[in-house]
Amino acid sequence: MSLPDLRKSFDRAGYICDEVTSLTVYLALELQKPLLIEGAPGVGKTEMGKVLAELLDTDLIRLQCYEGLDETKALYEWNYQRQLLRIQMDRELGEGKISEEDLFSDRYLLERPLLKAIRSEKRSVLLIDEVDKCDPEFEAFLFEVLSDFQVSIPELGTIPARNIPVVVLTSNNERELSDGLKRRCIYLYLEFPEVEKEVRIIKAKVPGVADRLAWETARVISRLRQQSELRKKPSIAETLDWVTALVSLNRTRLDGRTVSETLNLVLKNHADRQVFDLQLGERGVEEILKESGGGGDICGCR
Amino acid sequence: MRMPLTEETGQGGYLEENLSSFCFLLRNEGLPVGTTELIDALHALTRIDSTRRMEFKAALQATLVKSSRDRAVFDRLFDQYFVPAEQHQMRSELLERQKEKRVRSIDQASSDLQFKGETLQLNPEELYQYSALSSDQRDKLLDFVTKTEQGKNVQPRFRPLLETVVKSHLRYCRNQDDRVEPGKGISGSGQGAGSGGPDELALRDVDIRTIAAADLPAAEQLLQRLSRKLAVKLMRRRRYGSRSGPIDLRRSLRDNMRFGGVIFNIRRRPKRRHRQQILLLCDFSGSMKRYSTFVIHFLYGLREVVRDLSCFSFSDRLQDLTPDIKDRVALKIMLDRVVRRSKTWGGGTDIGCSLEDLRTKHAGTLNSRTTVIVVSDTRTVSLNAAYRELSLLREEVRRIIWLNPLPPQQWADYRSVELFSETAEMWPCSTIAQLEDILIGRL
Repeated sequence: MSLPDLRKSFDRAGYICDEVTSLTVYLALELQKPLLIEGAPGVGKTEMGKVLAELLDTDLIRLQCYEGLDETKALYEWNYQRQLLRIQMDRELGEGKISEEDLFSDRYLLERPLLKAIRSEKRSVLLIDEVDKCDPEFEAFLFEVLSDFQVSIPELGTIPARNIPVVVLTSNNERELSDGLKRRCIYLYLEFPEVEKEVRIIKAKVPGVADRLAWETARVISRLRQQSELRKKPSIAETLDWVTALVSLNRTRLDGRTVSETLNLVLKNHADRQVFDLQLGERGVEEILKESGGGGDICGCR
Repeated sequence: MRMPLTEETGQGGYLEENLSSFCFLLRNEGLPVGTTELIDALHALTRIDSTRRMEFKAALQATLVKSSRDRAVFDRLFDQYFVPAEQHQMRSELLERQKEKRVRSIDQASSDLQFKGETLQLNPEELYQYSALSSDQRDKLLDFVTKTEQGKNVQPRFRPLLETVVKSHLRYCRNQDDRVEPGKGISGSGQGAGSGGPDELALRDVDIRTIAAADLPAAEQLLQRLSRKLAVKLMRRRRYGSRSGPIDLRRSLRDNMRFGGVIFNIRRRPKRRHRQQILLLCDFSGSMKRYSTFVIHFLYGLREVVRDLSCFSFSDRLQDLTPDIKDRVALKIMLDRVVRRSKTWGGGTDIGCSLEDLRTKHAGTLNSRTTVIVVSDTRTVSLNAAYRELSLLREEVRRIIWLNPLPPQQWADYRSVELFSETAEMWPCSTIAQLEDILIGRL
C-alpha cells in the first residue's frame, strides 16, 4: 500500500489523522517494525490498531497488558486438564498407547495472542495494549518476539512467524519503557487534536450532527483540555459520546445551560466538575461560544 | 558545531555521513540514538519522498526519537542542521559577516587595552568579550587601565597584575550575564504549562532554585501532574498470572477432592504486596528551601492514595507536618505554618539532632516497610552525630533515598556526602526531571 493510498484509507475508515501520523504508520508497515504509540488516554492509540486491521482486511489479535501478565497468558499454555483427562481415559480403557509426544502436541496447546499472531495464516494485526502496565520482565520477554518474530516452546522447538504480523504497541506513558523495547519500534506520539481536526472527527463519526454543534462542541472541549487542573482531560471518545447524546436530544447548537446539564458525559470526576464550575461555569461557556461565533463561518454553517 | 548542511547536500551521495553526524549531535544532547536507529532512518528515507521537508523530518522523527520529551531537542537540532538551501546561503553569509566583525572587534580591543606601549596578554575570547561589553562598562574598564598606567611609580613589570585584574573583571561581567533575570523566566510569558509544550520541557531540566517567579505556577502544575502519575503507579491493582506465586498445596488438595484427589486445578498463593509507607524529611534551611518545597509539592498529591504518608521538615529541630497532610490542609497554608512554627526556618541545619527527634519521638512511623526520602544537601553541624543517627535510622526502615541538589561533581568536596552514601541511596536531584526519574522510576 502506497502512502497516498494509506492516507485515503484512513479517511475512508473515519480515522482522521495528520500527515506525520500517516507517514509514521506507513514506515512501520514498510519496514515491518512494531509501531509504538504514546499519548494521553483517549487520543486514538488503540483505535489505530483496530483501524489498521480494518484497512488491511485482517484479524485483530489483542493482548491487553497488566501488571503480573506472564507468558502463559500472552504466549501459550498447555491444556493441563485435557492432558490429565487423556491420561486417565487411556488408563481406564487400558490402551497404554499414549506417548509424551502425543501429550505435547498441538491438540493440547492453548494459543495465546502472541503465538496466535505468529502462527496466523495471513498477516494479522497484533495490538499490545497499554504495554507500560506490564512488568519489566515481560517487556524483556517481548524483545524476542518483536525482534525475531519467533518464539521458543521447549516441547515443540522454535516456531518462526508464518507471516510477520503488524504490531502496534500502545502506552499511556505511565512509566518509561526500556530502551531495548523502544529501539525495536517506530515511535509515534499522538496529541489531542486541534479544533478543526476534532470537528472533522465528529462529522465522520456522528452522522447527522449539525455543523454548528460540531464546531461549538470542539471549541468547548478544546478549552476544557487547556484547564491544566483537570485530573482527566476529555478524550475523543468522550467528545463523540457527548455529541451523540446532544444529537439524540435534538440539539443543533450549544448553550451554557446545556453544557452544564450534560457535562457528566465528559467530566467524570467530582473534582473536575468543581474545576469547571470554578474556572469556566455557564458564563465561561457562553463566552467561548460567542468567540466561536466566527467558527460557524469557518465551517460554512449559519 | 559543524556548518549546517542542506537536504540537497544530503542527496548528493553523502546522506549516510550527514545522518551519522546528525545522530552524533542527538547523542550529545542525551538522546539514545544507536546504530539500529541510524539504519532504520536510512531505510525509512528510501521509502519516502525525501525532497519534501515534512516527510523527511517525520521519517527521521519516527525512527530516531523514542520519547515525547526528546521531541523538542530533535526539532531544535533538525532545524539547525537541515537548513533549506536559500536559508543556508543566507546563514553562511551572515556567519561570514559575523566572523569578519569578530576579527575587527578583537583587533580594536587589542589596540585599546595597552599598558606602557604593550598589548595586554588576553586570549581572543576575552578580547571579544571586552568588545561586547556595554559602552559604559567598556569605558570604565578602559579608564581603569589608563589611570593605572598613569599612576606614580608604575613599572612595565606590573602588567601581569593588571592583566589578572582585567580578566577577573571580564569573568565577573560574564557571570552577571549568565544569571537568569528574576521574573523573566524560561517561558517569558509566565503562562501555565500546557501538556508537554516547550515551556514545560525547558522547566523540567532547569535547576529548581533558578526557576523564576513567573514560571512557578507552570512548575507547580507540572508537579501536580507528575504526582498523579506516581499515585497511579503506587495504587495500581495487580492481577496475577496462573503461574505466578508458589503452589498452595493445602488449597489445591481441598479444591481437587471432587476429582478424587487428582490435582486438576492448581491453586497458587498470591504474592503478598505491602503498601509502601513513605516518610519525607525535608531540609528547610536557607539554601534548601526551594528544593524542599518542590519535593513536598510533588508528594503532596499522594495524600489521597497513600495511607501512610508522613512528612517532616527540619533545620535544627524536627517539625511534624503529617497532621496537616491528614487534615488535607491546602499546601500553601501548610507551608505558611511551617514558617510560623519554626523560629529558625531558613537558618542552619542539624541533621543529627533532627534524626534523633525522629527516632525517639516518632518511632511509630518507622518500620520495615517505610521508605524514608531525605531532601538535603548533606551540609550539617555535628557530622559524626548525624552519621550515627542515620545509621541507626537505616536499621529501622526499608530504605533511605537521599535527594541531593548539589551537583555530583561537587560531592567529592563534602565528607558528609561520602559518609551518608554508605547508608542511604544518594541521587543528584536539582531539576524536576531528576525528581521525576527518581520518584517515579525508583520508588
